[in-house]
Amino acid sequence: MKILKGEILSNESYGPDIYKMEVFSPYIVKNTGAGQFVNIKCTPEGVRDPLLRRPFSIFDIEERFNVFSILYFVKGRGTQYMSKLNKGDMLDFSGPLGKPVDLAVSGNNLLLIGGGMGVVPLNLLSKLGLDAGKNVLIMAGFRDSSLLRWERDLVRMGVKYRIFSEDGIWGEQGLVTDHLFDEYKVFADHDVFCCGPAPMLEVLQKRLTGENIDATVFLEEKMACGMGACHGCVIKVKTASGDFDYKRICKNGPAFKLSEVIFDDR
Amino acid sequence: MIDNMDRNAYSTPDLSVEIGRIKLPNPVITCSGTFSHGEEHQPFFDISVLGAITTKSYSLKPKRGNPAPRICETPSGVLNSIGLQNDGIDKFLKSHLAWMQERDIRIILSIFGQDLEEFKKVALKVLDIKSEILALELNLSCPNIEQGGKAFCSMPEEVEKVVDGVVSLLDIPVIAKLSPNHDNIVQAVQSAKRGGAEAVSLVNTVVGMAVDIETARPMLGNITGGLSGPAIKPIALAKVYALSRENVLPIIGMGGVFNHIDVLEFMMVGASAVGIGTVNLIDHDAGIKIISGLKNYLKEKNIDSIKSFTGRLKI
Repeated sequence: MKILKGEILSNESYGPDIYKMEVFSPYIVKNTGAGQFVNIKCTPEGVRDPLLRRPFSIFDIEERFNVFSILYFVKGRGTQYMSKLNKGDMLDFSGPLGKPVDLAVSGNNLLLIGGGMGVVPLNLLSKLGLDAGKNVLIMAGFRDSSLLRWERDLVRMGVKYRIFSEDGIWGEQGLVTDHLFDEYKVFADHDVFCCGPAPMLEVLQKRLTGENIDATVFLEEKMACGMGACHGCVIKVKTASGDFDYKRICKNGPAFKLSEVIFDDR
Repeated sequence: MIDNMDRNAYSTPDLSVEIGRIKLPNPVITCSGTFSHGEEHQPFFDISVLGAITTKSYSLKPKRGNPAPRICETPSGVLNSIGLQNDGIDKFLKSHLAWMQERDIRIILSIFGQDLEEFKKVALKVLDIKSEILALELNLSCPNIEQGGKAFCSMPEEVEKVVDGVVSLLDIPVIAKLSPNHDNIVQAVQSAKRGGAEAVSLVNTVVGMAVDIETARPMLGNITGGLSGPAIKPIALAKVYALSRENVLPIIGMGGVFNHIDVLEFMMVGASAVGIGTVNLIDHDAGIKIISGLKNYLKEKNIDSIKSFTGRLKI
């Protein structure tokens, strides 16, 4: 975990209001595991508005070129600033943050379930899983075809995948949560990972728990420090006594057991 | 030769300050709640160079804090409603204290309670290790359950009771940390002095809120929160200035300090030392950068001691 400055190698449109940024950083490439993120400063040096760094999951790492990439949706002042950065500009970021997923202890079959921009951490997990010789199936659902370009990355990666969209404009028509058990036989001994909007995660939690399947969920929340000092980004997690605690998404996570998460705070 | 030059670089100009009986090698102190007990920031710089670290505020039992969302950025500021989540004083004494001691950190231990009794119980737990800490900071902005949840510092008589209750148990310097949200700061500080406080920390966060107009809901799970960051610096400076004119107790000034210039501003209006808070969340090595900035500035201006800045404001 360091504060770093890295050269932006590209910062290009990946879809409507979606950008992919590639950054040169041997340190991040060497030290990053699936699920980890960087916290990016969204102002020039000395400017204090917008004040906080913005956290982004690492989308991909390319060891050969010492490059990592993020995908981001342009939503507020921070991402607007980022979208205007150019190739050759220096990015100020801290990372890698959060606990990495330990693929050495996971099974040989990974089922990755994603929704919308929630596919970002799953992309890196898929790549690292394949590199580790695991079978990976991605099932991802989208509202529209904004992330269509991602399918090309999946084909290049050589991973098995199924895409669902609500109106059928991209992939199969329907919700990914309605097709969870289509592949169940293939993944009888699977480890399940998921990431997406909270309503989707709640449905997943009900359906998977109903089948006695636990999953690892990657969570996100607005963050301040991104490393555990401020206790700003918390999620309710069940405790052994039947009560709950607030855990820090940035430090204790972002990966949690889906069965232990309580989604009733907004 | 190089050794001598290095030593000179560290000894002059003199950044040491005194806040009553509390002596620090430089005026930069981390604010409670923004630096935990140092563990997260330690990878970024040698945190023992800081004047002192004020720990997260500890209560008698662990406290789980407020519902999410707890953070909302506002123009040049941050609203937070962490709700004083902490591991409890026992956990500090069992593990965090040793961690800080191993690193030669000067410790200001922050504590809070929901009533006078809890403050006293936490203070009693500190009795055995009081020689290991520089001072105890009392977070008096927390709600007083016996007074219907009003902040202790909104009621000067309560401030005196709590400070006196703790000071009479522990013969170490006690700092009263006050909020800017009440009109009676001077009375509160006079009460703190009567209770035996050594110094005062000013200001805690300013009460604020933000609204999401799409959902028509508050941006924070707790509805309101505390505003910090550069947005509150002018408010904090004015409060420190007003209090310093009354010359009641030495002041640790804080609120939106981001660089060495901000530190000197607070000292000029009367602070003896300065807290850095929100900046720790963004520039994790801000502490050492600010100390270097102070040193360079004094050298450049040929000023021997930073103490001369306190109250230097010309009117």
